[in-house]
Amino acid sequence: MDVSNKLAVDRSDAINVGKSIYSLVIVLVLWEIVTQLGMVHYYFLPPLSDIIVRFYEMTLDGTLVHHGYLTVRRALVGLVIACVFGILVGVLSARNRVASWFWDPIIEVGYPVPVIALVPVFLFWFGTGDLAKIILVAIGCFWPVAINVRNATRDVDENLIWSARMMGTSDRQLLRKVIVPASAPGIISGIQIALPISLIITFVFEMVAGGGGLGHIEIQGVRSFDSVQVYATLIAIMILGFILDRALRLIRFRILSWT
Amino acid sequence: MSYADFRLTDLEETLPAPFQRFVWFVFEWIPLLIAAGFWEFASGTFVPSAILPPPSEVAYVTWELLATGDVISHLQISLYRVGVGLALSISIGVLLGVGMARSDPVEDFFEVFLALIYPIPKAALVPLAILWLGVGTETAILIVFLACLLPIVLNSYNAAQNVDQNLIWSAQMMGMPSWKIPLKVVIPATIPSILTGIRQAIPIAFIALVSAELIASNEGVGFEILRYSEVGAYTQMFAVLVIISAAAFFAVRGYEWLERKVVRWT
Repeated sequence: MDVSNKLAVDRSDAINVGKSIYSLVIVLVLWEIVTQLGMVHYYFLPPLSDIIVRFYEMTLDGTLVHHGYLTVRRALVGLVIACVFGILVGVLSARNRVASWFWDPIIEVGYPVPVIALVPVFLFWFGTGDLAKIILVAIGCFWPVAINVRNATRDVDENLIWSARMMGTSDRQLLRKVIVPASAPGIISGIQIALPISLIITFVFEMVAGGGGLGHIEIQGVRSFDSVQVYATLIAIMILGFILDRALRLIRFRILSWT
Repeated sequence: MSYADFRLTDLEETLPAPFQRFVWFVFEWIPLLIAAGFWEFASGTFVPSAILPPPSEVAYVTWELLATGDVISHLQISLYRVGVGLALSISIGVLLGVGMARSDPVEDFFEVFLALIYPIPKAALVPLAILWLGVGTETAILIVFLACLLPIVLNSYNAAQNVDQNLIWSAQMMGMPSWKIPLKVVIPATIPSILTGIRQAIPIAFIALVSAELIASNEGVGFEILRYSEVGAYTQMFAVLVIISAAAFFAVRGYEWLERKVVRWT
């Protein structure tokens, strides 16, 4: 079961499609019937139709688009910064003894820290704006990227390096032509692990601190007892997460097409 | 390429082994001291120490919080939430993963739901959990459960699908009834991957716990962090952060140790 490949359209066989989504259809129909009959309190589970209508409205008037843009911007900028530093530190500490001596214990200790717990203090240091969120996302995503890059780079086949050296590759070229391509799968895996972390940190920060974003309007729905808004935002979050995940897979596929 | 080459060879010959190990240990952890020293120096010079308390003070307050027991009850609550959430996701996740791998109807039924949950960052489900369960322990457990479910399901699914067919055939040949095969053959053969899945899930569980407690809780470690920062007690806040990080660190380490002790047949 490649959970994530499921929504791709490469299943031409209509029977298989029916088999794989019949359970979802049943649950959605049950949801609509049960809620329309008033068997569940509206606050806990509003009818599906209401949610879809609200989702449609919020998309049309631009609320979801605007806040989704804010969230994506924060998460992605932070992620890119984390990748730059993470790849740098990871490659260095795998290839250089002094860097390895310095960074290994720091990565070891920093990795398990639940960085998300720093939300309140970042709120105090940097305010509710984008800066605080971006910095925290960058810090939170740095560790998984750094650790994966380091492990991938360290495990590059020594034979590759020796052969390249024997054929007269210079140090700089060695890094660019041999080590980075050979460790690319591990590097991209690290980024794939960091992507959900960047989204989690952004959402939690938005929920605790406000300042716009999908997390903010979702928690707003809870605070104003407007459960339809919570569900509608969740649909948007699901779509957003799906698109980002897909995009990263596509990039991985493009870059690693030679493997 | 690591610092194994770095060994001080002369020392190795002249000094007794325990002392060598101690020197080696100190040498290995010097970078942390450097980092802590820089932090100590920075707080009070570049940044006011009220904003970024020095590590010595944080260490002292950590000790004080632990000694007076102020934080113990919150830590207990948080660990309880992580424990229950993890236990739930392990029991349900393994069942689901093995079931989906060995039976097509089960796979057809559940796959689409997992595919729908997969792209959602689980912290975004906290508001939904508040709607259903209110603010408190149940919400945190639900979030931990959901966050840990997928790695465990995926690992046990992949492993159960790749169980050596020869094992199953041998069991059948020796007359094992078919209902016993999943229990006696498939699950034991998948246990190593399941354990890997659990190890992946532990850090995720702590992230999920803290995010749930920051947003929706009146007790627990995440709430303590929020409360201390709201009253401006940043030293205490960092101390609680140190405690929860240590808990996460030792949870993973303890788990790995236990895994090595218990799983001897791999």
